[in-house]
Parts: sequence; C-alpha cells; structure tokens
Amino acid sequence: MSNRQQTVKRFSKWVIIAHWTNALAFFALYITALPLYTDFFSWMYPIFGGPENLRLLHRIFAVLFVLPPIVMMFVDPKSLFHWLKQTLTWRKEDIMFFVKFPKEFFGGHVKDMPKQDFFNAGEKLNSLLTITCAAMLIGSGIVMWMPHLFPVVLIQWAYPIHNIAFGLSVAVVVGHIYLSLGHPGSKASMQGMTKGDVPVKYAKEHHGKWYDELVAKGEIKEEKPVKKGKGA
Amino acid sequence: MTTIFAKLVDVTRCDGCRACMVACKNWNDLPAAPEEFKGSYQSHDKCNAFNWNMLTFTEHEAEDGRFEWLFRHSACMHCTDAACVKVCPEDALHYTEFGTVNTNYDKCVGCGYCVQNCPFSVIELAKYTDENGKEYEKAQKCTMCIDRLREDMMPACVNICHMDALVFGDKEEMEAMALERLAQVKDRYPNANIYNPIGVDGTQTFYLLAEPPSVYGLPENPKVPTSATIWKDYAQPLGKAMLGVTTMAVIGGFISNKLFNKQGQEGGDHDE
Ligand code: SF4
Ligand code: SF4
Ligand code: SF4
Repeated sequence: MSNRQQTVKRFSKWVIIAHWTNALAFFALYITALPLYTDFFSWMYPIFGGPENLRLLHRIFAVLFVLPPIVMMFVDPKSLFHWLKQTLTWRKEDIMFFVKFPKEFFGGHVKDMPKQDFFNAGEKLNSLLTITCAAMLIGSGIVMWMPHLFPVVLIQWAYPIHNIAFGLSVAVVVGHIYLSLGHPGSKASMQGMTKGDVPVKYAKEHHGKWYDELVAKGEIKEEKPVKKGKGA
Repeated sequence: MTTIFAKLVDVTRCDGCRACMVACKNWNDLPAAPEEFKGSYQSHDKCNAFNWNMLTFTEHEAEDGRFEWLFRHSACMHCTDAACVKVCPEDALHYTEFGTVNTNYDKCVGCGYCVQNCPFSVIELAKYTDENGKEYEKAQKCTMCIDRLREDMMPACVNICHMDALVFGDKEEMEAMALERLAQVKDRYPNANIYNPIGVDGTQTFYLLAEPPSVYGLPENPKVPTSATIWKDYAQPLGKAMLGVTTMAVIGGFISNKLFNKQGQEGGDHDE
C-alpha cells in the first residue's frame, strides 16, 4: 500500500476525542441499562454489584455522555459549530444522495453521485438522528434522575421517551457502525476518525464539494486520475 | 379459576377511630413515621412506606350548611389493571391468587417507577441500611395482609373495624353488598356513590362514598397513565423485538465485515 498517498486533515484531535468519548459512554450506558430494560439481563446485577451500583454507573456514564459537546464548546467551538451547521443545512445534492445511495450500498458504483459536503448526506442524517436521540435521552434522563424537580406528568412521560429514544439510537448506532466498518470506503473514514486525516482520493470521491473548496483554497493539489503500477 | 377477593370500605359507617391504622402497623410491624402537626386531625398527608393505610379527615359543608367530618380509610386500591404492575421492570409487583397486588421484595430494585405511576399515589419507597451500611430502597404498600389471607384470616384492618365499615370477601358478594348499602344510605347521603373506577378495571379495595370522590381526595377518573401504556404496551415490546434484530445485525455485521474487509483490501490493492 502506498504511504506516499496524499492526505488531507479532516478532523481535529478534539473532534476525535469527543467522538470516541461519546461512543464509549453510549455503550457503557447501553450495557448498564439492559437489566432494567428486560429481565433477560438480570444476571448482570451480581456482576456489577447489584442494582444500586448499576444505576450509579449508568448515571456516571450519563455525565460522560453529556460532556463531549460541552467541552467542545470551549476547546474547539469551530469544529462543533461547523458540524452543527452542516448537519442542519440540506440541499438538493443531499436529497439526491439518498436516491443514488442504495445502489452504492449494494456494491454498485454510482458515477453521477452529486458532489457532497464536508459531511455527506448520510453523515448528516446520522448526525441529525444522533442529536435528536441524545436530546431526548438527556432531557428525559434529567427528569428521571431528579424527579422531585418536575411535575408527575413529565416524569411519567420521561420513561417512554427515554425508551423510544433508546431504541432509535441503537438502530442509528448499528447503522452507523455498519456503514463505517462494512463499507468499501471504511478504511479511509476510520482513518479520519482515528488519525484525523483522509486520503485526498477519498475526499474527492466522497466529499466532492469539500475537495473543490480545498483545491480552490490551494490547500491541496488536484488529484490526477491515477494510473500507476503496483504500489509499494 | 381464582376467586377475586375485595375489601369494601363503607365510609358512611366509619367513625374515624383509626383502629385499622393501628392494627395494620401492628400486624405488619411497621415503624412509627411521625409527621409534623399541620392543623388537622389527620395524622399524615397520605399513605406512605410505613403507613400502609391511614384515615383521611375531610372537613365538609353539607348541602344544608351543616358541618361534617368525612372519614375515609385509605390504602392501596389493589387495582385490577394496576399501573404499578405494568411499569415495574423487575416483575416485583404482581397479582396474587386473590386478585390483589403484592410486592416481591427480593425482586424490587427500588427504581420507583411504580411510585411515579400509581394513580392513587399510595406506594412509596422505604430506605433501609444493610449490615455493611449500604443504603437501599424497596417499594412498600398495603399487601391486603396476604400472609393472613393465605391462612384463611381477614386482613388485620378489616378484622379490627368495630363499625363494619371495612368488610372483606368474594368481590361479587362485596359488590352486591355495596349496592344494598347504597340504597340504604341514599336518603341520608343523596350524593352517595360506589367508587370502583373503570379506568383501572375496578379495584379490589373499593368504596361506598357519601360524597363525590374528589371530596375525599380521590381522582374522579383514575386511569393507568397513557405514558405508561405507550411505554409498556408499545415502545418496550417493539424495542425488545428490535433489540433481538439489532443484536443479530451486529453479530452478522461483524462476520460479514471480516469477509467484506478482506475483499475491500484486495480490491484496494488492485485499484492502486
Ligand atoms: S393503588 Fe397504586 S399501588 Fe395499589 S395497585 Fe393500584 S397502582 Fe398499584
Ligand atoms: S421500585 Fe420496586 S416495585 Fe417499584 S417499579 Fe421499581 S422494582 Fe418494581
Ligand atoms: S389490608 Fe392489611 S396491609 Fe392493607 S391496610 Fe389493611 S391491615 Fe394494612
């Protein structure tokens, strides 16, 4: 594999830390919630030292789950707001993405995929759903944690909301993991979320608009259509 | 088939002696739970973890302007469709062979979901400390003296009631008795009614009330909270089903990834 391949910086180290903290907290929350969710997982109580401990752990991880966006606000607001802005900006190219994407998903190669933003439409949808779920989970979670501060009806609704958001978020996360690991572009996107940079070739193919901007700003040289022999 | 038993509380006979409260404490070994004096004869605001039943004392002005004390023995209603049973994630709350609602303390994890959903707010968490000094909580409420029922005895409160304001037996018989008594008291209490709310499919502690339920601090139309129904009858079953599917998807995903990734690498190599 050629390590001389041209790469470009995609995520700051703070974005990477925030992403993986969030991921870790999510799974920890998921696991510590299971026994309360269904009897099927009651065997976990003794492992974690009883229901009280499990519920305490759930709350500790809840704090960890809430932290990343807050910390980002101070250490790297630029990335945070760039992400939010992109997530909330939907154009025709984004809609088109979903028309073409199924073919790509099933292994076909889409020639005429409209050029995508820094975040492509799939990533935008994932972000949107993640934010929605997180807002529901955190909002209802606070009510459930401090019931004495809220009216009873709100507490009663907090449970189904927490539940629904939980189901939805698991579905989103499964989709997210699947697409980030099981997709042909996965190595490059994983590299983006671990090392912070991505091959220029990947940027061009998956984030055309961003690539064009980079070229226009002179940050990268235009990728020549490659036609070379075997790499290293 | 199980026989459904019920406790009929005929408030028109109650003289507010509070013997039922004492008998309950006594039989069930419940510690004193004093509350500060709030300017009323009523001893506590409402039932709590250590007062499984208590008398409500309502000062009421009758239609002819007469002042009246309204007494009501209040306790867990033992709902037929009980919100507490519905929301308990541990199946700690359950229906007994008598049609009453009981708590399995070994299963209760003290989450308090029942407390937040009981339409009559009679169930509460009690704090305990174990031998290691660790605190834990368990839901506590009237058990309808299940231990006595199993020995063919009446609930302690019913047993002690000297006015026959509390009677216990086969629910159908109790319902017939309630109707009979209703007819008897109608001239004295024109607003008298039977409180056996349909929103929870009836209750195994039910009332003959002299005045509308709200006068006694009872909800007029209690029902299992809609949120609880949505949560337990829709969201959670769907979620559980999906949990199975997603878990399979993850496992499948990992396996197919192994294959997929290898292919991806090879493909990548060819590309370059
Ligand atoms: S009154 Fe409350 S605690 Fe008693 S059975 Fe009904 S819902 Fe449960
Ligand atoms: S506190 Fe106990 S009885 Fe009440 S819902 Fe939770 S586990 Fe069930
Ligand atoms: S039935 Fe038993 S537990 Fe319930 S209020 Fe009466 S004495 Fe107390």
